[in-house]
Amino acid sequence: MEKRLIKKDALTGIIGKIAADTTVYAPVKVEDNVLFKVLEKGDEPLVTLANTKNAPKNFFFPRTEVMLRYTRTTKGMEFSGGEKEAAEAVIFGVRPCDARSFVLLDMLFDQEKYKDPYYIDKRQKTTIVSLACAHPPYATCFCTSVDGQPVSSAGADILLVDLGDQYLAEFITAKGEKLLKYFGDAKADAAADQKKEAIAAQAEKEIKVQIPAKAIKPILDVNFEHPFWDTIYQKCLACGTCTFLCPTCHCFDISDEMKDGDGRRLRNWDSCMFPMFTRETSGHNPRTSQKERWRQRAMHKFKYYVDNFNAIACVGCGRCVMYCPVNIDIRKIVEDISKL
Amino acid sequence: MQNPYIPYPVELIKIVTEVDTKDIKTFRFAFVNKEDAEKYKYIPGQFGELSIFGKGESPIGIASSPTQPGYVEFTVQKAGVVTSALHEMEEGTRMGLRGPLGNSWPIEFLEGKNIVIVGGGFAFTTLRSLINYMIYGDNRKRFGKITVVYGARNPGLLIYKEELEAWAQRDDIDLNVTVDKGDSTWKGREGFVPTVCREVAPSSENAVTVICGPPIMIRFTLPVFFDLGFSKENIITSLEMRMKCGIGKCGRCNVGSKYVCKDGPVFSLAELDKLTKEY
Ligand SMILES: Cc1cc2nc3c(=O)[nH]c(=O)nc-3n(C[C@H](O)[C@H](O)[C@H](O)COP(=O)(O)OP(=O)(O)OC[C@H]3O[C@@H](n4cnc5c(N)ncnc54)[C@H](O)[C@@H]3O)c2cc1C
Ligand code: SF4
Ligand code: SF4
Ligand code: FES
Repeated sequence: MEKRLIKKDALTGIIGKIAADTTVYAPVKVEDNVLFKVLEKGDEPLVTLANTKNAPKNFFFPRTEVMLRYTRTTKGMEFSGGEKEAAEAVIFGVRPCDARSFVLLDMLFDQEKYKDPYYIDKRQKTTIVSLACAHPPYATCFCTSVDGQPVSSAGADILLVDLGDQYLAEFITAKGEKLLKYFGDAKADAAADQKKEAIAAQAEKEIKVQIPAKAIKPILDVNFEHPFWDTIYQKCLACGTCTFLCPTCHCFDISDEMKDGDGRRLRNWDSCMFPMFTRETSGHNPRTSQKERWRQRAMHKFKYYVDNFNAIACVGCGRCVMYCPVNIDIRKIVEDISKL
Repeated sequence: MQNPYIPYPVELIKIVTEVDTKDIKTFRFAFVNKEDAEKYKYIPGQFGELSIFGKGESPIGIASSPTQPGYVEFTVQKAGVVTSALHEMEEGTRMGLRGPLGNSWPIEFLEGKNIVIVGGGFAFTTLRSLINYMIYGDNRKRFGKITVVYGARNPGLLIYKEELEAWAQRDDIDLNVTVDKGDSTWKGREGFVPTVCREVAPSSENAVTVICGPPIMIRFTLPVFFDLGFSKENIITSLEMRMKCGIGKCGRCNVGSKYVCKDGPVFSLAELDKLTKEY
């Protein structure tokens, strides 16, 4: 693996140079929020931020996306074009939990039999530059409970580790190596590796929260019907914030939109927390209350995904914990399930 | 990579109004491009997404049989946006079709066995596909005795009437058509599907039941088959859940860890026992 050392104050310049050649998305302050956005001349990418409010899944699985277009002809409505091809891009500053969410989403969108061309096209053309968490930023972080690590390259093409006075850049994939030329020629030595290991070990210790997320699958297997489910949902407003911010939630709706003679078919994020999500035309709804919807959310993340892909569909980013307006805490729910 | 979300262009070439209430019609489509017809290789029990640009898509079971080349048929009840738009359409209109989607009736498992088909109402569609497949030419030899029990509320609600008559002429199907209540012209059987199943009493010896219909019919019919000695492995049905993508991505149609669109819609009762009861 190629490794480079770069001076701390050189990083912004490197990002700027990449941005002159390709589209770069980086965390930027937008009003009160830190969000990923296209880096334009004069933008200051935040290299020391904690994490963005929104998850970067938006780059491969946008909140709204055109799937196809059609137009009115004498024969009726006819197909007039498929998806736009994605352009090459670099996402800078993805935290390891979010980078790992791409690995989890790949399992779903890039399966053997059914492939999702919209997701795959963008994913293949995008290089992920991940920024290790030398100091896990939030009290709500729990990546280590769900197979993650604050210093990890899972899902990344390049991993940057803050060694204190400089950054260690590891070029994980061939796609990452294509950016090697921007990073100078100071090769990393064994001392840098050692320093990284020490930082990784320390960062792991700094994660305050441990939850038994990996232990609850057998409990969920046999407790679909359990009075516990009657106790967790009452406060829930069905607002969908938890699923929209979640880096691994992937549910979507498909809808059509027409203006004059032209139209397009769109996909939009949807949420299992919404009552209409499973409602059939007849009025029948297999999930009649927020109880069934919350059970679905918990089951999907900690059982169904494990059944299907042998992985938990949560990366421990803590967003749903931080932003739920009524303070429903998935960590507490996992904890409670482990005691059923 | 073929984009599974882009429908094949199809032309509506024939519309048959199936019932007196006029809200169930069979739509026959031909592929606009010959090579698409080649790609649309389906097995009875699968479904397609009928795609109307500007309106949306609906998952509908394939009602024709692969032994009827040149077209695909769907029998659709007028319900909401897409199905209503479809019911407004005239022959010659172009629209879209995705698929074929889902698993299918387990043809290989059915081979060499006696087959009991039980259908209620317009859920008879993919069963019709299966029957036409099994009785087509040499296919007939691959299956044992075929018994069909099909019921509707009244004679005007029976679908595929011409075909029912044709099947009744054959000596290699035991066809039992019933209505809950007949009218002055009805000469056939009267009675609910579960009752008729009990009267017909097909043997469970080397036999499989394939059943589709309204939930209430299924609820009352299953005990009849348990009494006749059918095991849960040998009772097969098809599930319905709200769908969008049809390929296991949009997260809408799961029952437990199975996606009805991709892992179903066909399941045996034994398989359903292992899933949650959320459908
Ligand atoms: C595997 C399968 C096979 C089916 N086969 C048939 C058939 O042979 N004939 C028939 O008439 N109907 C069938 N249905 C039901 C049919 O799909 C719905 O009645 C139809 O989608 C309603 O769409 P709409 O646009 O008219 O209604 P709206 O209420 O306007 O539709 C909203 C959208 O929700 C989804 N939706 C709503 N209800 C259902 C439902 N019950 N199942 C799946 N998706 C739904 C569809 O995407 C639909 O376009 C089948 C459903 C499934 C899942
Ligand atoms: S964010 Fe909280 S209130 Fe909103 S849907 Fe999720 S659990 Fe319910
Ligand atoms: S479930 Fe919550 S903590 Fe887990 S990945 Fe999603 S938003 Fe982050
Ligand atoms: S319809 Fe999208 S997952 Fe089944």
